[in-house]
Amino acid sequence: MIEADNITKRYGDFLAVDQVSFRAGAGEVIGFLGPNGAGKTTTMRILTGFLPATDGRARIAGHDIFEEPLAARRAVGYLPETPPLYPEMDVTGYLEFVAKIKDVPRARRRSAVESALERCGLADVHRRVIGSLSKGFRQRVGIAQAILHDPPVLILDEPTVGLDPIQIREIRGLIADLADPEKTEARTIVLSTHILAEVEAICRRVLMIHEGKMVLDSAIGELTAEGQSLEDVFARMTLREGEAA
Amino acid sequence: MKHLGAIAGRELRSLFVSPVAYAVLTLFAVLAGFFFLLSVQGFRETMAYYQQIGQFDVLRQLNLNNQVIGPFIQVMWIVFLFLIPGITMGLFANEKTNGTQELLMTSPLTMWELVLGKFLAAAAFVTILIAMMALFPALLFLDAGTPVLGLIFSGFDLADPNPEGLQMWAGLLGLWLLGLTYAAVGTFSSSLTRNQLVAFFLALALLLILWLLSVVADLGVAEGAAGTASRLSGVLTWLSTSDHFDKLARGLVDTRDLAYFVFMIGTFLVLTKTSVESVRWR
Ligand SMILES: Nc1ncnc2c1ncn2[C@@H]1O[C@H](COP(=O)(O)OP(=O)(O)O)[C@@H](O)[C@H]1O
Ligand SMILES: [Mg+2]
Repeated sequence: MIEADNITKRYGDFLAVDQVSFRAGAGEVIGFLGPNGAGKTTTMRILTGFLPATDGRARIAGHDIFEEPLAARRAVGYLPETPPLYPEMDVTGYLEFVAKIKDVPRARRRSAVESALERCGLADVHRRVIGSLSKGFRQRVGIAQAILHDPPVLILDEPTVGLDPIQIREIRGLIADLADPEKTEARTIVLSTHILAEVEAICRRVLMIHEGKMVLDSAIGELTAEGQSLEDVFARMTLREGEAA
Repeated sequence: MKHLGAIAGRELRSLFVSPVAYAVLTLFAVLAGFFFLLSVQGFRETMAYYQQIGQFDVLRQLNLNNQVIGPFIQVMWIVFLFLIPGITMGLFANEKTNGTQELLMTSPLTMWELVLGKFLAAAAFVTILIAMMALFPALLFLDAGTPVLGLIFSGFDLADPNPEGLQMWAGLLGLWLLGLTYAAVGTFSSSLTRNQLVAFFLALALLLILWLLSVVADLGVAEGAAGTASRLSGVLTWLSTSDHFDKLARGLVDTRDLAYFVFMIGTFLVLTKTSVESVRWR
């Protein structure tokens, strides 16, 4: 579903992402882990077509993101770091707008909006103005926006950042539900986070990125089978330079 | 271009859920009414003047088009100068502060759909403004003997008190094109910054410069410049909105002036597209 080959991004002289490669198959739920500034957002922005890569290639659902950008974007649902909401719109109006620009056929728009409202637990607030919603609800609207056109690939950038513990649990539950193979046809989910527990709670595979470089790509089950905890690996990978200095 | 309606429609809806849009429309109606009354008042003073000095043949030649409608349309550019940047300032700046830019740019939209959709929303608003202000000169087209015309002409005798419709339409067309040009400049300004206020003042500055280019050109000519300098002043005059608009406002339709406005709108929309795309190279 996602094929990333040597994705590299420079901001001027600064190398933010350095030759990141990975493959993600249908139905995989991947945690994209790394400390702040590691390059997670940049990588996700490249995969979603928001930013061009300086170098490297990527395909989403078989479409090259540079050569067939529109087809690739149609296959992705994306929740950016800050949910992309219009505060003055009501929830339903907003989702209807998103359905139009995501090419949901007219006949299916209403049901797409209704099922996204339902899945994200927004049915009770669907007429509310987005600006008046709590942070947790706004995050849900952000997720509803991402799944609206039922894309085979979901990219979620720090979906629980800034939420309180109860909201975090709700959003994690929602993501687990989106990943549930019983409920949806195989969907690939990549979510970034700097919280280890989040990966352990939801993901079956972890990609670790540090200073723009991919430092780990492993199934969580394999790590624990080897007797390592994710925390040990994370500490080893990210602290190495700190200790040397 | 199938997403054009979605982009423009969302923009207009957001504009009209806020009380600001209605405040702006009310203010606009009041200002238009005020300037219209001022034009009518000026007309009556002119008539009174010629009557007083006994120039009855000049007085008889005065007409509503040249003395009221023309000046009214011409003076409305000042209102547009301040109002249109206010309408366009949020078009792209707000997308950046809301973070919705990331939604738009990762959706299967083309850059032209986005830019033209935004411009279309502003253009629709400008069209509403024109329709509103056209109601005032429309009063002059009521049948003779109605209170409005009776009040204006009471005590004066004109050869042809009835206004000419086509001349008014030409003026409104000129103001509409001017408004669309301002909307294109405002859209461009909004694409350059994430701050609405900066976008507003940037648009205002650009529009003033566009207006004043012809004044600069006139200064050059007054200096008695020849050769390249006079050619330069010709270019500046052509680039400036003033002369093209003035001719249309007086009812003179020249395809070269129409082409000028189309050229300016196109140029600023291309600049907007380049500027919006540039997030991708940074
Ligand atoms: N537009 C930009 N211009 C310059 N540097 C940037 C830009 N965006 C991100 N960076 C830098 O690139 C690095 C990676 O950032 P980011 O991808 O946001 O990391 P993460 O999401 O993992 O916290 C950081 O050091 C950040 O300062
Ligand atoms: Mg980030």
